[in-house]
Amino acid sequence: MKIAATVLAILALLGAPLLTANPFVLHLLILTLWAALLGAAWNLLGGYAGQVSFGHAAYLGVGAYATMILHLRVGWSPWLALLAGGVLAAVFAGPIGWICFRLRGPYFSLATLAVAEITRLVALNWESLTAGPMGLLVTTLPPLTIFGAPVNWESKAPFYYVILALSALVTLTTWHVARSRLGAFLLAVREDLDSAEAAGIDTVRTRVLALVLSAFFVGAAGGFYAIYYRYIDPDAVFTISLSVEMVFVPVVGGIATTWGPIVGAVFLTTIGEVFRDRFQSGHLIFYGFFMMIVIRYLPEGIWGRLSQWWAKRSATAAPRTRRGTANGKSPSPTPSP
Amino acid sequence: MAKLFRIVKPLLQAIHLTKDFGGLRAVSDLTFDLHAGEILGLIGPNGAGKTTAFNLMAGFLPATSGDVRLDGASLLGLRPHAVVRRGIARTFQVVKPFRRLSVQENVALAAFGHEKRRERAEADARARLEFVGLAAQAARFASDLTLGEQKRLEIARALATRPRILFLDEPMGGLNPSEVDAACELVRRIRASGVSVILVEHHMKAIMRISDRVVVLNHGVKIGDAPPAEIVQNRDVVAAYLGEGHADA
Repeated sequence: MKIAATVLAILALLGAPLLTANPFVLHLLILTLWAALLGAAWNLLGGYAGQVSFGHAAYLGVGAYATMILHLRVGWSPWLALLAGGVLAAVFAGPIGWICFRLRGPYFSLATLAVAEITRLVALNWESLTAGPMGLLVTTLPPLTIFGAPVNWESKAPFYYVILALSALVTLTTWHVARSRLGAFLLAVREDLDSAEAAGIDTVRTRVLALVLSAFFVGAAGGFYAIYYRYIDPDAVFTISLSVEMVFVPVVGGIATTWGPIVGAVFLTTIGEVFRDRFQSGHLIFYGFFMMIVIRYLPEGIWGRLSQWWAKRSATAAPRTRRGTANGKSPSPTPSP
Repeated sequence: MAKLFRIVKPLLQAIHLTKDFGGLRAVSDLTFDLHAGEILGLIGPNGAGKTTAFNLMAGFLPATSGDVRLDGASLLGLRPHAVVRRGIARTFQVVKPFRRLSVQENVALAAFGHEKRRERAEADARARLEFVGLAAQAARFASDLTLGEQKRLEIARALATRPRILFLDEPMGGLNPSEVDAACELVRRIRASGVSVILVEHHMKAIMRISDRVVVLNHGVKIGDAPPAEIVQNRDVVAAYLGEGHADA
């Protein structure tokens, strides 16, 4: 039953471009998967390691600009440039983490906000590299053939498959990390930094690792943005609203869960589009209202709440699930005697 | 006898250790040794600088001046996890378990330092929980334990890092008399397992009972360093605890 559902879901995801010819539907799916990719990447650091970053747009922007510049100026294939964008964002994140992780809690969050603002200003003013507020534009993508068939860049299908692959990769990575030694260290770091150090865990190194991993995926998402829209400028990719959106996706879906970001992305993208259609920019009011309801009544997120409910139902002994994670590796606490 | 002791190289040395917080000298020129296999009590009135001394030696605070040496090698500038890996583990005065993790996971996390494989780390954790008497609580959340159990959990977690020296910060604070007896017995068993112990404690009866030697701090200055029987005769120590007038009594 579970396997059948999984296979069906995978087939549906793979076949989506064949099922619909409507480019708007594909565009919505791409937006959803992109949001899921960002949310899952943020979740690695903000959810599992509990280090709330409000400045992840910095890595998105670095990835987007690296991709664009490597493609336009160095002549790399856009997809190779996209991966390089992710790698460069990760490299950029390393020293930033090394410095910012000397700060704790809200002070760290504020520092990330400052870093994002600094990178935006640098991108805006380093005109010889970034063309400043003019932005960078790529008019035509180079021809590409896969298995002998030419790729049609005017259709949305190739983009859909790339973003599907990236979000599958981040989900698999999260799933794996949650079960690894690193995942255990991340939980320790989230629970208490002093105790983690006392347990022999290098908390700076652990947090830097989580940040670097997170920044790689966010950078790749930035690269995707650059290629998909074929135009970037500092205010598009370094904007604080992107940083905030990355926080909302896992918060709505379920923080520190593998599947939460996907659920959150589906909800937020749908709500955003439905209300944008009806109310133009008034949709942001509904978006904000929805966020307030979730934070007030569903602090563990939609997926978080569902999996708690499911755990309660399947265990008749009804142990308390308070840890706020639903990654399957939670202890099965015996009810206190 | 005292002479003989000096020939054996100390395991841990605090050398002219000093810590200033702004204008306040919390620890002043503190020098003492810990020998292998010893239980050393660190006592003093509130605010004497005992916990600060712990934090300096465990890498949680940078020293203003002075040195800490383990087997002759300086620990200065190492971050806490690095000190742990050199063989010094600690507990906290105000317990800090990983509250939303199970008791078992709390200890397994510390065992991960030397056991990369999850099953091995978990087996190690079970052995430590058995040792401190928490095996039956392994699956419960750390936040559900009583204070006494949480203190033992912290000891199990510290032991899982395989230390040579264990720093216990008030392991008996807030415990009832029978729990204090159990804690004394646990400290003795830890020493018997080959781990040297330094403990900060306000429970005088307990500390005099289990310590081989007692170091007394007052206002950050060491005012006594002797076996328990001699310490209670020390005029400065009695004065520090009870006031000048009682020193002659």
